[in-house]
Amino acid sequence: MAKAIAVSAGSYEQAGRRGAAADYDVSLMLRFQKGEEMAFQELVQRNHARVIGLVYRFISDASDAEDLAQEVFLRIYRARHSYKPTAKFSTWMFRITANVSLNALRSRANRKDDVSIDQVTDFGDGPRALPDHDTKMPDHDLHQAELEEKVREAVSELPEKQQVAVVLNKYEGMSYAEIAQTIGCSTMAVKSLLARARDNLKDRLLLYIRTGRGRQRVT
Amino acid sequence: MSAPCQWVRSVLTAWLDGELKPSTAEAVRRHLAECEACRAHLNLLRESWRLLDEAPPAPVPAEFTERMMARIVEEKELSRFAARLRPHERRRKVLASVAGIAAGLLLGIAVYGWTGLATKPVSPVEDEVSRHVSFLEDVDLLDEIAVIQAMDRPDEGPADTTDGA
Repeated sequence: MAKAIAVSAGSYEQAGRRGAAADYDVSLMLRFQKGEEMAFQELVQRNHARVIGLVYRFISDASDAEDLAQEVFLRIYRARHSYKPTAKFSTWMFRITANVSLNALRSRANRKDDVSIDQVTDFGDGPRALPDHDTKMPDHDLHQAELEEKVREAVSELPEKQQVAVVLNKYEGMSYAEIAQTIGCSTMAVKSLLARARDNLKDRLLLYIRTGRGRQRVT
Repeated sequence: MSAPCQWVRSVLTAWLDGELKPSTAEAVRRHLAECEACRAHLNLLRESWRLLDEAPPAPVPAEFTERMMARIVEEKELSRFAARLRPHERRRKVLASVAGIAAGLLLGIAVYGWTGLATKPVSPVEDEVSRHVSFLEDVDLLDEIAVIQAMDRPDEGPADTTDGA
């Protein structure tokens, strides 16, 4: 069952209103609401890199990330009549982005579950299914590619809410209060989510810290 | 693990993110200055968090806005098309509902008629006739005919109607 992230009412909304007042994107959205199509284009122009960047952190596929980013803006476009400036525009946009990304991940997971026996036996030829890193990539590139893969894997294996909190905190630099507003929970809950997430990440990436493989660029 | 270590580790992430009250942050800092195990734990948290920078950011396509706006044009055309379709769609739905109700009624009548006949009350006369009919069904008509024919030929007597085995 898909659980959409929803902003709860009350104090988060009040805090959001204060942020919304000084938000240029909110004013663009309101102009768009009144029928000014160019305002929507400007919204896309100003925000698409952040949306694509965020989707990519969940999906790890550039082509899918672009498609899903389009889906995010399409939802914003369709929601123009019901939009209310109760929070910063980015909070609303990131909430939609997280929902679209998580839905895509769930669909992917379902598709994986649906793989038929025929498809499984198609992989029976063996080594061709595995990337031949050893013969094609220099050591440094191999380590770097492996490390990138492990890092993505570690994040993607986190429970959904931890994943969202990590992505918003790490890659969007959001404070706990902003994350709380985006995913609709208390700041204390975000504190707990991030503490558990960072503990999980530490355990999953331990090998790469201890062997120093991740230290090439970590000083 | 001692209780202070447990407490410090539960708030280390918030401490790293600068999300603790100054007094709490100071208590954590004091503990870390004294506890090597918690300092090691802190370093692992810090290093694993830094490793996340190793995953490169998304490539951002240059033509995204243009492609997006083209999709919006498609979306508008679709909406217009859907709006044009809507009256026909409504009419089709009404017709389908009416046909459904009519079919349901006909089926209901047919089922009632069939079950109604099957369980129709029987008058005393019909009951009597049907009992005789069921008696007659048990009589082997060929035997009866043979008996009657034998009676028509008084010198022969009744014929043996069983098979000649």
